[in-house]
Amino acid sequence: MHIPDGVFESPVIVSTSVLGALGLAYACSRLGDQLRERTIALMGSTAAFIFAAQMVNFPLFPLPISGHLLGGVLAAVLLGPWAGAGVIAAVLLVQCLLFQDGGLTALGANFLNMGLIGSVGGYAIYSPIQRAFGGRKGVLIGAMLASWFAVILASGAFAIELAASGNRADFFRVFGLITLVHAGIGLGEAIITGLVLRVILQTRPDLIGDSVESPARGIKSWGKVALGGFAVAAAVAIFLAPFASSEKDGLEYVGTAMSFLNEEAPAVVASPIPGYAMPGLQNYEGLATATAGLVGTAIVFLAGVSMASVFTSTVTKVALDEV
Amino acid sequence: MRSDRSIASGPLAGVDVRIKLLVSFGYVLTVVATPLGWWWFFAAETSLLLLVFVLARVSFRELVGRWLGFLSLVALMALAVAVSHPLRPEIGLASIWGTILLKNSLAFGALFTLSQITQHHILLHGLGRLGLPKPLVATLQFMYRSVFILRDEFDRMAKARRSRSFGKKSWGDWSSLAGLLGRLFLRSYERSERVHAAMLARGWDGTVRTLDGADSR
Repeated sequence: MHIPDGVFESPVIVSTSVLGALGLAYACSRLGDQLRERTIALMGSTAAFIFAAQMVNFPLFPLPISGHLLGGVLAAVLLGPWAGAGVIAAVLLVQCLLFQDGGLTALGANFLNMGLIGSVGGYAIYSPIQRAFGGRKGVLIGAMLASWFAVILASGAFAIELAASGNRADFFRVFGLITLVHAGIGLGEAIITGLVLRVILQTRPDLIGDSVESPARGIKSWGKVALGGFAVAAAVAIFLAPFASSEKDGLEYVGTAMSFLNEEAPAVVASPIPGYAMPGLQNYEGLATATAGLVGTAIVFLAGVSMASVFTSTVTKVALDEV
Repeated sequence: MRSDRSIASGPLAGVDVRIKLLVSFGYVLTVVATPLGWWWFFAAETSLLLLVFVLARVSFRELVGRWLGFLSLVALMALAVAVSHPLRPEIGLASIWGTILLKNSLAFGALFTLSQITQHHILLHGLGRLGLPKPLVATLQFMYRSVFILRDEFDRMAKARRSRSFGKKSWGDWSSLAGLLGRLFLRSYERSERVHAAMLARGWDGTVRTLDGADSR
């Protein structure tokens, strides 16, 4: 997910850098108001944790690649959307400058995708869901669904940036492939975010603030709900985008890449290929992507509900009341 | 990421961190902006970088090791970009792929040298002196401190786990692995909270002072 140098053309580099810098400046100005003693400690350890967690890759079986946590929603739930974006900016800066992970000229795009869309966009989805369910249950389910959608949104933004760099001919195929891959990353993201937040909600709910105690509340601001709804709609549109492609020649993009690999280096990549040639799915890339979207959302929601069930059990309640 | 890591001791190590940062950024921007097919220009950029490697006395073993690891990450994405590149019919897949890899390698070399000839906390500090917003610099500095705390906590938890499970590895137990991550976050947060309180008690006012004579402003 960390875009390297040389992938984008100059206009995309300039525009994403300007947008990223403006977003960062706004996030920092919002941070200046709420920067208290404890916030710095929490921001520093959240950034360190996300930095460490991103070093751990989880395999995306059956694809021959792996993904890692992005952490935008996790940071936003702990710290609020703008501080969350600031944390992601710190992580990206350290990775780029000290460890050469992610290109310097792609820093703006990486921050746009993972910081602004990941944290601020993710929070816009999280907030109404959290209010609807209320309490710790709402925090967990909201954060997990928001992580899932935020990863998809970030991957869509990456596909658009790539297309703006001139790769328009293959736009929908690239789009479909990137979304499919990120559906897997999104599942991992949602599960890890949920697991970490569950422990925090069980032992130190005060870190997440006053939203934990409040029961389910009605809608306070329709504007915020609309913003969250818009973000979800955009994510859904990303899943449906491959349908808009006039050519229905399936995972041809992957095919092109893999057949090229086949000619050059058959021994190395021969084994993963049969995984792509799933009979029946070959000609329905749009269907595959849309199915991934639907199934993924259902899985994340069910996982969230089952993980949140720990908060409604009487045992936990009694234990926490005694504290 | 060790706090006591030694830095390469070439003549470039003593240069002001702001100059190092600006020169490396300028170099990376030039490399990325170089158009496809300007091979003589790429050759000049490469020889400049090689000269800097020698001057900075970077460890070649570490450089090559990290570079190969870096290439393995970038190669696949560069290939995906090259396959759908609009100029592919004219220039050819191999040279587009090669150019992306070359640009990334040169940018990697420049930033690698930067991180080798500068202490990491001074590097982060230098960003603040170049105008990075203060809340972000504070977060960076505290993050840098917290990474070591996190690693210490992880070592402790791993040791405790080993001693309780008699070395048996049962990573299949997802629920305990799951709790581990969250507890690692909480423990390192609680410890960095105490570290932060101790820093405040010793008069920390939000400015990290370093021995290079400049405060982050």
